[in-house]
Amino acid sequence: MKLKTFTSGIFENNPVMKQVLGLCPALAVTTSAINGIAMGLATTAVLIGSNTVVSLVNNLIPTKVRIPSYIVIIASFVTVVDLVMNAYVHDLHKVLGLFIPLIVVNCVVLGRAESFASKNGLLESLTDAFGTGFGFTLALFVLGAVREVLGNGSVMGFDLFGSGFKPSIVMILPPGAFIALGFLMVGYKYLDERKRVKRGGV
Amino acid sequence: MKDSPFKMVLVLTIITTISALILAFVYAGTKDQIAEAYRQDFLKGLKVVLPGFENAPDTEFKEMKGYKVYIGKKGGEVFGYAVRAVSPKGYSGDIAVLVGVDTKGDILGIQILKHAETPGLGNKIEFKEWRDTFVGLDKSDNIAVKKDNGIIDEFSGATISPRAVCEAVNTGLDILSRFTVGGEK
Amino acid sequence: MELFLIFVGAVFVNNLVLARFLGICPFFGVSKKVDTAIGMSLAVTFVMAVAGIITWIVQYAVLDKFGLQFLQTIVFILVIASLVQFVEMVIEKTSPDLYQSLGIFLPLITTNCAILGAAIINIQSGFGFVEMLVFTMGSALGFGLALVLFAGIRERIDLSDIPYYFRGMPIAFITAGILALAFMGFSGLV
Repeated sequence: MKLKTFTSGIFENNPVMKQVLGLCPALAVTTSAINGIAMGLATTAVLIGSNTVVSLVNNLIPTKVRIPSYIVIIASFVTVVDLVMNAYVHDLHKVLGLFIPLIVVNCVVLGRAESFASKNGLLESLTDAFGTGFGFTLALFVLGAVREVLGNGSVMGFDLFGSGFKPSIVMILPPGAFIALGFLMVGYKYLDERKRVKRGGV
Repeated sequence: MKDSPFKMVLVLTIITTISALILAFVYAGTKDQIAEAYRQDFLKGLKVVLPGFENAPDTEFKEMKGYKVYIGKKGGEVFGYAVRAVSPKGYSGDIAVLVGVDTKGDILGIQILKHAETPGLGNKIEFKEWRDTFVGLDKSDNIAVKKDNGIIDEFSGATISPRAVCEAVNTGLDILSRFTVGGEK
Repeated sequence: MELFLIFVGAVFVNNLVLARFLGICPFFGVSKKVDTAIGMSLAVTFVMAVAGIITWIVQYAVLDKFGLQFLQTIVFILVIASLVQFVEMVIEKTSPDLYQSLGIFLPLITTNCAILGAAIINIQSGFGFVEMLVFTMGSALGFGLALVLFAGIRERIDLSDIPYYFRGMPIAFITAGILALAFMGFSGLV
């Protein structure tokens, strides 16, 4: 049961690939694998914080002001992450820039608070935050890695092919983000269906 | 308990107040570190254009026509000056360049502080090999891209970004020439 | 001239959706039909303009004055959320017709990062009041343009025979990529 909560966010209900949420940061910062991981971890940190608090205080919040309350809670965690990153990992903060405050409106975070943490206990909500965060980070890492390999000929900053390789620059430009994610989704859909067929489902 | 409007306002107020308090606390705790990070960032740039300074050039500067001219010292002696110059002619927006010269007016190094040029094309202005082609040049050299009959390499497919950098470098040299020997006084 | 450049830049060159990756969720979510795309664009334009004005004033009259810049994120999102709620209530009371056509989009707008994104860009770029207005209108128009164009293309895609695994979102993304590629032709204009 617990394990299911954790793993579901990674593949089956991957926030990016399956639920198609949190796309803005997923597309914008994934020009390299390391940026993808950084954005994923920042989002995970916010998710863990907001899921924890929401699951704890949920009973005290009247239904009508639920969403605004959640937004305030999320925005606080985002600001904390923003300040801490600016202070201690300044270079990464510079790269991710605008997209750190925008974690506030990342539908993944609000979505988990609203649909999971508000209905479950602390432990379950934490597990869910870790699972979803990991899935999100994984998706961003893969997308970043694919774009970095094709667009720059390197992965995590290491040169892969030597100087003979002509990278297709378009992959690290905006259009490449859409195209790479499109093809990754084709692959995801294929794997997903294969998995389901194997299990004997439809 | 019913959800009365009073309770709704109360809950929201409490949440917002707690958030603001926590944030004020975190902000106070990280403020100095953030300022220091920005300073280190700028010092990193200064290290490129005033190699080997032993003072703190970011706090030792003279104002000149609204520009700050940073002074580099080694063993108590002034050995170079640096200035931040901006060209608005980048492919996408301003390009800010830090230019450093020695006391004779020869370029010690340049560093790109800010740009939004296309990755893979215009952003090659960040590369050390390219920036190093400026080292040793001075105001009398024809600092412009080869397409404009200058001596600086442009990149295939990207002339605008290097051209803007050249413009910024020339602006910087103009300011700095007031400090260096042999320049106009 | 300056203002014109900001406007053209916001509509075409740094298109909110296709170059800056803001407002991607509604871009894919409500672009199946041209009609809904137009409705969404109008709602976004309105909220973005009002939110831009209020956040700009709040930033300079309150946050900067009292050294509270670190509260920017939380204050801006609160302004946007309450604004959306307010607009929804007003439209519902005054114009049921408009509510019918725009109402369903309004709740979605709170979590549309284009609104918050544009508000923050306004501040980061140090725009004055008029520049801010021009940039906001340009951004909103750019968003609408991309959304409506994309919806038009998707209506066509629905009629075509697409390989099984590409159906739905994957082909939509690849199409958006090609659209973004086309928009890159505008870069260097400003």
